[in-house]
Amino acid sequence: MQEFKPLTYEAVQVGEEFVSDTHLVSPEDIEAYAWAVDDDHPWFFEDSPFGGPVAHPTLMANQALALRHSRYVVHGGLHAKMEFEFVEPIRPGMRVRSRGRVIDKYERRGKPYMVTEYVTEDDNGTVLVRGQFTQMLFRD
Amino acid sequence: MATATTIDTAGGAKLPELLKEVSQRKIDVYSGVRPRSIHTDESWARAKGFPACLAQAMMSTAYISELMTRFVGAGFVKGGTMSMTFIKPVLAGDRLTVHGVVKERRPDGGRTRVVVEVWCENQHGEKTAVGTASGLLPG
Repeated sequence: MQEFKPLTYEAVQVGEEFVSDTHLVSPEDIEAYAWAVDDDHPWFFEDSPFGGPVAHPTLMANQALALRHSRYVVHGGLHAKMEFEFVEPIRPGMRVRSRGRVIDKYERRGKPYMVTEYVTEDDNGTVLVRGQFTQMLFRD
Repeated sequence: MATATTIDTAGGAKLPELLKEVSQRKIDVYSGVRPRSIHTDESWARAKGFPACLAQAMMSTAYISELMTRFVGAGFVKGGTMSMTFIKPVLAGDRLTVHGVVKERRPDGGRTRVVVEVWCENQHGEKTAVGTASGLLPG
C-alpha cells in the first residue's frame, strides 16, 4: 500500500526516485490531446513516415510531470522549465511508463524549486522521450 | 495540416506563426478536471493569487512541438529537442502567438540539425515562454 504525504521542500530528497504506472496509449488519448492543443496533424490519425499513426511528441509529458504524485499530495506549483529529447515516436497501442529522479532542489528569491530528470519508455524498455523539468513548489 | 517539404532553414528565417486560443475547456481536457488545481478550479487559482485558471505550461510545449513538426517534419518527432523556460502564466482565455526564428544549422550524425529560437507571446505582446528547439532536416 502506497502512503502519501504532503509535498514540501523539506520532504523531497535529492536522489529520490519515482516510477509511474504503465499507460496504454489509445487512439482516444491521441485524439483528445490533439483537440486540447488544437493540432490536428494527419500523422496522429492516419499514416505517418514511421508507418501508421504516431502520437503528438509531447503526449506523455504529463505522465512524467506527475511522477511526484505517485508519492506525494501535491496541491500546486508552477512549472518553471522543461526539456525534451524526442528519441522514438510514441504510437497508439504502446504501453508506456516514466521514471524520474530528483537531481536538485534549491531556493531562489525565497521560493523553493525541485529539478527532476525523467525518461519515458515502452514496455520493452525502449526510450521514447527523455529530459528534465524544474517545478516551483507552493508553500501553504 | 501539410508538412513542409521545402523549407527555408537559413539563419534568421522566420517560421510561420501559430495562433492558439487557450480556452478553459481545452485546459480541462489537457489537465483533467480536479478540485484544488490552479488549472481547473478557479476558486483555488484565485486563492493562490491568480485572476483566473492557468493553462498548464506544458500546453505551450505542445504548441512549440507543432511549430517544429510543421517545420522539419519527421526529424522533430524522432530526433527533436526542446528546452523551454516559462516566464509568465498563461490564463484561461488568453490568445497566444507561437513564434520561431532559425538560429543555426549544424552537422549531427551525418545529417543537419536546425536550431530554432522559439517563444510564445500573449495578446498583450508579453512573452510567456521562451527557449530553443531543434530537429533533423530531411535527407
